[in-house]
Amino acid sequence: MDLERQQQRQTVGDITVPDPVICCRGVNVRYGDKPAIRDVSLDIAHHEVIAMIGPSGCGKSTLLRCLNRLNDTIPGAVVTGTITLDGQDIYDRQQDVVQLRARVGMVFQKPNPFPKSVYENVAYGPRIHGLAAGRAELDEIVQTSLQRAGLWDEVKDRLNQPGTALSGGQQQRLCIARTIAVSPEVILMDEPCSALDPIATARIEDLIDELRQNFTICIVTHSMQQAARVSQRTAYFHLGDLIEVGPTERIFTNPRHRLTEDYLTGRFG
Amino acid sequence: MNRPELQTVAASQQRVRERVGRSLRRRYRAERRFRACGLGAVLAGVLAVGGLFVSIVSTGYSVFWQTRITLDIQFVPEAVRAGDFTALVRAALRQQFPEVEGRQDLRQLYGLISDGAGYELRDRVAAEPGLSGTTAAIALLAADDVDQLRKGRSDRHAPEAERIISDRQLAWLDELDRRQRIHRQFNREFFTAGDSREPEQAGIRGALVGSFLTLLVTLLLSFPIGVAAAVYLEEFAPRNRLTDLIEVNINNLAAVPSIVFGLLGLAVFIQFFGVPRSAPLAGGLVLTLMTLPTIIIASRAAIRAVPPSIREAALGMGASPLQMVAHHVLPLALPGMLTGAIIGMARALGESAPLLMIGMVAFIADVPAGALSPATVLPVQVFLWADSPEPAFLERTSGAIIVLLVFLLLMNAAAVILRQKFERRW
Ligand SMILES: Nc1ncnc2c1ncn2[C@@H]1O[C@H](COP(=O)(O)OP(=O)(O)O)[C@@H](O)[C@H]1O
Ligand SMILES: [Mg+2]
Repeated sequence: MDLERQQQRQTVGDITVPDPVICCRGVNVRYGDKPAIRDVSLDIAHHEVIAMIGPSGCGKSTLLRCLNRLNDTIPGAVVTGTITLDGQDIYDRQQDVVQLRARVGMVFQKPNPFPKSVYENVAYGPRIHGLAAGRAELDEIVQTSLQRAGLWDEVKDRLNQPGTALSGGQQQRLCIARTIAVSPEVILMDEPCSALDPIATARIEDLIDELRQNFTICIVTHSMQQAARVSQRTAYFHLGDLIEVGPTERIFTNPRHRLTEDYLTGRFG
Repeated sequence: MNRPELQTVAASQQRVRERVGRSLRRRYRAERRFRACGLGAVLAGVLAVGGLFVSIVSTGYSVFWQTRITLDIQFVPEAVRAGDFTALVRAALRQQFPEVEGRQDLRQLYGLISDGAGYELRDRVAAEPGLSGTTAAIALLAADDVDQLRKGRSDRHAPEAERIISDRQLAWLDELDRRQRIHRQFNREFFTAGDSREPEQAGIRGALVGSFLTLLVTLLLSFPIGVAAAVYLEEFAPRNRLTDLIEVNINNLAAVPSIVFGLLGLAVFIQFFGVPRSAPLAGGLVLTLMTLPTIIIASRAAIRAVPPSIREAALGMGASPLQMVAHHVLPLALPGMLTGAIIGMARALGESAPLLMIGMVAFIADVPAGALSPATVLPVQVFLWADSPEPAFLERTSGAIIVLLVFLLLMNAAAVILRQKFERRW
């Protein structure tokens, strides 16, 4: 690898989009003294699926967790730079974290339904945010959320059974239903399929495609095929730097940065 | 590869096989030795516990029966009105043995029946006023020495000088037995009476109520405070020098000898705050000090055992930290916290040393009426009775220990069941 290209860490490709939901500018995150991501700038458009790929430990999860300020809970994590949601700085003092997280939902790597019933899992968000006026309205939110997550037919007869008793794939769809129950604008997904078998993975991928009509989705994935299948844009990270951004098609067929190419061709990763 | 090399490889393989074979035998021998040692240790433990139980149960089980002597009591209205029920008992005894005369002999005769028999009659008449003026066969409490003799706990064939029961008394008892006037009954009084100087009248009701009130105070104080402290320390407190210091101190507090808490309670609660001495409130406060570290440590462990994924899920849904704790962490940690509380309570139930310091060791015949009246607790009652010279109190001591052990076993069983039932639901 030639040295010049390797040290070239300026992001390649167009980071901006017309009409962005989220704009990151010069975002740095460090855990204590250890930098995790450096100077990342990236726009995320309305109703797109953007995939974040890169080798382990390159800071994909870290960036994702900045977008709903889940990093706030980690002692020692320091975030600098600006991130705006619909033009509003989410790290502003005025910004309420609770409200932000209602607008930016998250699905985690390991399915983590609450150890409560299926119904309660989905109803939890609407409850704490006071979204439903009565039981009937809550029932309806639960049903539409489960339908949108493609889980309704499988669980409609066992809404009162514990969510933890479902299969892994069903649990992850339950977590997606739980997230969309509060009608967020953005859904962050951190390797949502890495604990699932191929069939369950395929279902989630179909689901992501459907959800795109109503939500903006940022998905971190280890599978390049998955990124290629579900996303419109792809961002490639390497050791804390955003190396390359672009339309997924273009990134996969014609990567411009040497590191991206090496990763996609499996030279490391 | 050429042949000589192959040969050396084959030779070394052969050598390895032999050596492994030899060392295997040694390894198996070591293994068998180790197992025998382990088994021996377990057996020793089981034998010790078994021996303890057998000795306590064999001396204590007979407390649940009590000897009674049935006499025909003539409820003479004058005596009833005057409240002189002892006279009625004595008259009935004389009626059984009209030939007995002389103060010395009569005193021996009266000694067959407990001094408490008069009170029993009084209570009987109070409950059933129609008895006055009639004659009724009533089973009266026998004296403790008679009871011990009937239970075979004192030797009737010993020389008279070594016996508490005299030859004459023995003869009367045999006669009463022939007339079928001596019976054994379930000893209800053991559970309904307070302490007494007379072993046959002494019961554990006072100590049971005292223990209950003391533990109630302890539970009501230590559980909420302990859980709140644990939640605060685990979920909200900043990590700094001060919280580190607090943490170290809580762990140290758990190792402080319990009698020190008694001294502290005496100085702070009784002398400074003026809490009444010997009261369950004072005892409960002292035991709270002792139990708090246990509950805090168990609760913190339970909170820490709640997986981070559940916390992240709650926070990711937009729950505030307090909502996360109240809706998700606490319900999941509660079984662990309760287990800790039960174990702490079991320890508090068996504790006597700190309570001695705050005066719960006084002789108290009345069942305590509330958390402010003087009381004692089961283990202290055991201590008090064990100190008494009458042989019948030895039986009471073991009986009280059996009751204490039953409660401790029940509490520990509850903790085990709780732990098994709610183990890892995620
Ligand atoms: N809670 C944390 N505390 C300290 N360092 C962390 C923490 N989380 C992540 N890191 C570090 O930050 C870097 C980026 O991690 P992460 O964003 O999880 O990578 P990815 O998700 O791309 O695999 C890694 O070097 C990791 O060790
Ligand atoms: Mg990650």
